[in-house]
Amino acid sequence: MTATSPPRLVGLALKALAALSLAAPAPMVASAEPSAFDFSGFATLGAVKTDRKDVWFTRYGVNFPGKSDPDLTPDSVLGLQGSLRLPWQNDLTVQVLTREDGSDRIQPRVTLAFLRQTLAPGLSLRAGRLRAPFFMLSESLHVNYAHPWVRPPVEVYSLNPFNDLDGVDLIYHRRVGELDVEIHPYFGRSRIPFPEGRARLNRTWGLNLVFAHGDWSLHLGHGDGRFSLIRGDAQTQALIGGLAGTPFNAALADISGTEGKTRFDSIGLQWDDGRWQVIGEYARRTTNRYVTSSEGWYLSLGRRFGAVTPYAVLARQRLDQHLSTVPVPGEFWQLFLRSRNNAQRSATIGLRWDLARNAALKTELTRARPDHDSWGSYFPRSDPRVQIGGRAIHTWSVSVDVTF
Amino acid sequence: MTRALIFLFVGLLAGVTAGAALAQVVVVAGARSPVESLSREQAEQLYLGRLRHLADGTAVTLVDLPPGPTRDLFYQALTGRNPAQTRAYWSRMVFTGRALPPKEARGIEEAISWIDANPSFVGYLPESEADERVRVLLRLP
Repeated sequence: MTATSPPRLVGLALKALAALSLAAPAPMVASAEPSAFDFSGFATLGAVKTDRKDVWFTRYGVNFPGKSDPDLTPDSVLGLQGSLRLPWQNDLTVQVLTREDGSDRIQPRVTLAFLRQTLAPGLSLRAGRLRAPFFMLSESLHVNYAHPWVRPPVEVYSLNPFNDLDGVDLIYHRRVGELDVEIHPYFGRSRIPFPEGRARLNRTWGLNLVFAHGDWSLHLGHGDGRFSLIRGDAQTQALIGGLAGTPFNAALADISGTEGKTRFDSIGLQWDDGRWQVIGEYARRTTNRYVTSSEGWYLSLGRRFGAVTPYAVLARQRLDQHLSTVPVPGEFWQLFLRSRNNAQRSATIGLRWDLARNAALKTELTRARPDHDSWGSYFPRSDPRVQIGGRAIHTWSVSVDVTF
Repeated sequence: MTRALIFLFVGLLAGVTAGAALAQVVVVAGARSPVESLSREQAEQLYLGRLRHLADGTAVTLVDLPPGPTRDLFYQALTGRNPAQTRAYWSRMVFTGRALPPKEARGIEEAISWIDANPSFVGYLPESEADERVRVLLRLP
């Protein structure tokens, strides 16, 4: 599937959506049969502004640092989805998502394309393109309507920029007394395009467990994969050229290549009694090269007053290890490491207003402080040597989410 | 006068509360359906998208009523989730590819005609609307 070029794949997916809808004729008035085809979608229009004129807010790996202020690209998204119910205890689902990606392009992308087969009551197998489910909310990362916030906290979700999983998974659900248990093993691969480079996860497997009881839900996740990152940009090429032939050329193997390994671990807890909503998660990414080993957490508290839900979030991402431990001297190397580190702490207050069925208006204000050796969730507007770490940066976001 | 007003107000309040308590929702299958009964737990698992089949292997297609008080009352009574929670929950289930949503009928009559014509369909109705075409599997709340 990854061999097919993206535009062609999207064309195929759109044709598949159209074919699915034609295969299932639309019901006439008071039909005795509902259509076997389901069409639905979700969308967000969001704007982000910071109080600093020398940096952009950016979601690393998700969108490209901005060009306009306020910036509409970090959160705005349109997803269209079709499913066809087949008569053999199975169904087909295709989803096309349009948003700006990490390569500064806004183009539709196939984000789901799978066949689900029910094998036994409570047990189903899916094969095709799925969502990479490394953390508690990874699968619904772009379905902003499903979350209380404008976006899931970047301190955790920037740790995994991979969205797709081309492969298979099993979902087994069982009720044990009062406890709902879900066991979700998966296997596959993933890739992210970005300008002058590519990132891949190969031979990736993982296991997620969810235990739900009444208002509580506990998530445990572990994923493991081979990781390759090819950087072809001018900055990296200059760095590689400068390191070659020096006593520090061991660092070359940490910058770019196909020999990486990575692990994702997460534990998350949700509590929602209809009035109070508590969501917390800790996640860790461990790698041997190319990107940092880092850990992040957030804790969110919300309270519903009718259609209005104010909330507050504390979040932190911490660096465990830079992408390389080779002690290369010089400011350029330090800048390179800093630009690859997203460690920061932040506090957010926000408000969600369910202004209609299927529509929510959200606004939030975040005060973030990137660590001294980090760019946090920010990117320099012009001069890459601008000091981002250690400064308090305020970011204001407004968004409207709809589902249909 | 004030006392009379208070009595009137309390009386109205009691009347409204009694009215709401009487508005029962029933989970139904077609009168000719092989589905004879459904536990509350099974109904909850089905309407949370966690199960799609009954223990005997029957694949169930769920029917939703259009958005409105009956639907809200049904989800609140069965799953303990309010309308906002239910919509957020189902948007996550559908757009992550976890589950197919219930088929939404345009009204009670269409829901009953679907359930009548399809033995594997399960839906819910205000109790007063359940006629000879459906079999009541479960009473809520």
